[in-house]
Amino acid sequence: MKLWLVLALILAGALALAACAGHEWASPFDLVRALAGDADMRSRLLLEWRMPRVLAAALVGVLLGLGGAVFQGVFRNPLAEPYLLGSAGGAALGATIALLVPLGATQSLLLPLLAFAGAWGATVFVIGVSRVAGAVDAAGMLLAGVAVAAILGALRSFLMLALSDDAVSLQVVLSWVLGGVQTPTWAVLGLFAMISIACFGLTMLLAGGLDVLGLGETMAIGFGLEVKRFVAWAVLAGSVVVAAAVAFGGLVAFVGLAAPHIARWFVGPMHRPLLPASALVGACIVTIADAIARAALPPAEIPLGLITAVAGGPFFILLLAHRLRT
Amino acid sequence: MQTSFGLVVLTAACALNLNSVAAAEPITVRDAFDRAVTVPAPPQRIVTIFASNTEMVAALGLADRIVGIEAYTRYPPEILDRPLVGGRLGFSVDAVVGLRPDLVVVTPARQAAHQLVDPMERIGIPVIVLMQRNMAEIFANIRLLGRVAGVPEQGDQLAGRLEARLASTMQRVRDRTPPRVVMITGRLGNGLLLVARPATYTGDAIELAGGRFALEGRGAIAQVSPEAIFSADPDVLLYAGSPADRDALIERPGWSEMRAVTAKRAYAVSRTELLIPGPRTIDGIEHLAALLHPMAPKQ
Repeated sequence: MKLWLVLALILAGALALAACAGHEWASPFDLVRALAGDADMRSRLLLEWRMPRVLAAALVGVLLGLGGAVFQGVFRNPLAEPYLLGSAGGAALGATIALLVPLGATQSLLLPLLAFAGAWGATVFVIGVSRVAGAVDAAGMLLAGVAVAAILGALRSFLMLALSDDAVSLQVVLSWVLGGVQTPTWAVLGLFAMISIACFGLTMLLAGGLDVLGLGETMAIGFGLEVKRFVAWAVLAGSVVVAAAVAFGGLVAFVGLAAPHIARWFVGPMHRPLLPASALVGACIVTIADAIARAALPPAEIPLGLITAVAGGPFFILLLAHRLRT
Repeated sequence: MQTSFGLVVLTAACALNLNSVAAAEPITVRDAFDRAVTVPAPPQRIVTIFASNTEMVAALGLADRIVGIEAYTRYPPEILDRPLVGGRLGFSVDAVVGLRPDLVVVTPARQAAHQLVDPMERIGIPVIVLMQRNMAEIFANIRLLGRVAGVPEQGDQLAGRLEARLASTMQRVRDRTPPRVVMITGRLGNGLLLVARPATYTGDAIELAGGRFALEGRGAIAQVSPEAIFSADPDVLLYAGSPADRDALIERPGWSEMRAVTAKRAYAVSRTELLIPGPRTIDGIEHLAALLHPMAPKQ
């Protein structure tokens, strides 16, 4: 119980710090004034722009933490990450279409929708391909994922070359691919929060199965788990979670990989405590990384994915070294 | 009687005080994204993103109202000390709002419009999106900025002067045979060259200065291989950059046999005049016309 309180306090601190951070730092007093409905331009910036952005970043982290924990559980591999099964490539293709093809609808609506459809569609396609190939196991899905990712990457590059012009620049696409939290309106943020809660519920339904699967396939079958079926459903559910994260945060590297590991240090390997802990850790990481993205190099904003990758890369190497040694 | 007297006084007041009356009126314009933008009063603190927008506002005599620019704006000199709100890595909503602007002018290049229009709308700062894809749009945008800034006469005068200079240049070169021109605007690492295309302001400038494109039918893609330029063998080769860089290019194998090079018609031209759409593009067209048609009558 104490542990959860500590995690929640750390997250609250990260949120407050991130809301203050920026090109011009705000004081907690400024935040309170903005929340009280002050009409000044700076208060409007804090209320309409920075606060929804900070909360959206935290939710992106929650989803990446959940997605990472599910994928690592399904593949029983601590190096599995949520973008493994084509969702990154699919999301990037969807976002490229939304950003470059003049489709008529408003971009703020199309971008998350197409990114979501691309991310989830790609994973469904990967599972379909591995089914047709008769290899609905971890290795089959991973290989199908590699192939699909290559195809989607090529399609995206072609669209980027063919459709960019003076008005829609490649930099917009590139910067989306490198990750960056979209700033939602408060209404959209409310929707995003509800989606996140639903995703949390969905992954918690998988917790028992993931624990059994962790004992090994034979043991899991012995416990009465229909392994192939469960794996396919778990991957589909995990990719919905990841697709929701991608829709609002672009491609944020390494958080889905690192958050479950950090969470395991606190709560151990069982998924019922691991999933919420991983969500909280993911939220803390993305919130802080997003604050750094906004405040480190003013007036520029560094793409969020670059920060998480620069910080996450060394983490990944340490993990790999540790794994090779044991 | 009394009413008509009142009317006369009112009309007189209006005539005397045209500027301040205009100042009190909110003005609504349509921008390049077809957004209706309402500016409540003539802006006094303007953030201009990109050199072209900065130069147009400054050319209207409003340089002292510019409070923020982006990192690649180099002209005019008097605005170079203004705070930067962005550069290659994108644009900061925080930095723009920190300057407390009452107008933001932006062009959808790099990520500027993508990153700034939505937040400015939410925070309630008027933001105008402008595109300068040809000379007509440059003139129209100068007039639009004049209206928005509460100095419509300055906008009309400036645009009118520029239009007259352009008309005079076009008159000069009208009866001349247009030489076939290639303008190189950049070199890529893989050996390909960037060339000016039709239907861009730079392409527009070449045609208005009395040239025509030697590379026909290559409208969509700006990157061409040197071979395409050799086979087109233009009458005039323009290099947007320094004379030293031009020499470095035309001294390479293959280039020295080109018609334009042997006839000594490979010229270095100003990047700032021809690659930044704005008032100085007219200077660029005049200089270009002089290079393309050296024998045309001076005016």
